[in-house]
Amino acid sequence: MIDISEFIKFIEENFDLVSGVPCSYFKNLLATLAKQEEGLTIKHLIATREDEAIAIATGAALSRKRALVYMQNSGIGNIGDALTSLVQLYQLPMMLLISSRGLEDDIDFPEHSIMGDINDPLLETLKLKYWYLKEEWWQKIMQEAITEMNTQSLPVVVMVKKGVLSE
Amino acid sequence: MRGYEVIACLKDYLTEDDLLVSSNGNISREVYHLLTKPQVYLRGSMGLPVGVGLGLAVMNSDKRVTVITGDGNLLMGFGSLITTAFYRPKNLRILILDNTQYYTTGGQKTVSTAINYNKFFESLNIEYFKSLIPTEMNLKPVLSEFFDIGLLSILHLTIEEGKQDLANIPWHPTQISMEIQKKFLKE
Ligand SMILES: Cc1ncc(C[n+]2csc(CCOP(=O)(O)OP(=O)(O)O)c2C)c(N)n1
Repeated sequence: MIDISEFIKFIEENFDLVSGVPCSYFKNLLATLAKQEEGLTIKHLIATREDEAIAIATGAALSRKRALVYMQNSGIGNIGDALTSLVQLYQLPMMLLISSRGLEDDIDFPEHSIMGDINDPLLETLKLKYWYLKEEWWQKIMQEAITEMNTQSLPVVVMVKKGVLSE
Repeated sequence: MRGYEVIACLKDYLTEDDLLVSSNGNISREVYHLLTKPQVYLRGSMGLPVGVGLGLAVMNSDKRVTVITGDGNLLMGFGSLITTAFYRPKNLRILILDNTQYYTTGGQKTVSTAINYNKFFESLNIEYFKSLIPTEMNLKPVLSEFFDIGLLSILHLTIEEGKQDLANIPWHPTQISMEIQKKFLKE
């Protein structure tokens, strides 16, 4: 598992705002964020829906700030229009940190199985560039995604499997 | 009053430092043609104008951000009003132009009339809110309060349907995006 404090430090150095809807895969990350909230240089807004988080991130991007949006991959089902008719159309850079549900670990959670199967082809159909976060080299992966986000001025996706940011 | 008549009135209250976010369809088109440019004209993303305004407002506390939204857009992203009431940015204004219709797509009814807006806003403990039918007489003093109060404020206006014949917004979304970002480059 990635050291959460180091991960948050990295986020603070590279982003101005964080918003999203939780997944249990982000439990540690979000608990630590909440604990440190007062001392953080970034703003954290809790959203009611994933597309709302994307909208909040859009407000940040339009004012030349960088936003990170976190969500479960079920949330990909909620953001199609926000991406295609807003973020991609207006060419706004932002990073989406998405938990990868519906893999072997989720055998007892059928609600994730279909999205788990179509996760990658769906991202490809949406023309989103994506990376899978790995414990080793995580800074390098994040940096690569950030560079792509900034040079293309487009949204990028970093997928997070179980155990990478939580036990 | 009709929506475009209300929008035209806003001219007297806006300065260089104001930023507008307009919801898709007719409202964005009217804001583009009737008010100073550039503003955040949403062409799609129905349901998201309040969220976009919230993001702009929390990241730029020195700017006054005003969301102009139709009732259809408001209802589609209704949770964003709750999120806004939770974070209550002082520099955010939400102007709801409620024609009780999806006017842009042909005037189909929305369910907006099910809401008692005064009671609803009251339940959110928002510092300033009003719900009324605007007239030439009552609109100006209300707009003065709405813009000048310096606190999160919401104005719900029940308007008549109707539009002016206006051309499509000529700017491509990437130009809208660039023009807005330029405003933040100067600082
Ligand atoms: C997700 C989505 N669904 C449907 C539409 C089609 N559409 C465009 S404008 C509009 C009506 C918007 O209604 P409202 O916000 O009340 O504004 P009005 O047209 O009444 O000015 C609809 C349904 C759309 N653009 N996006």
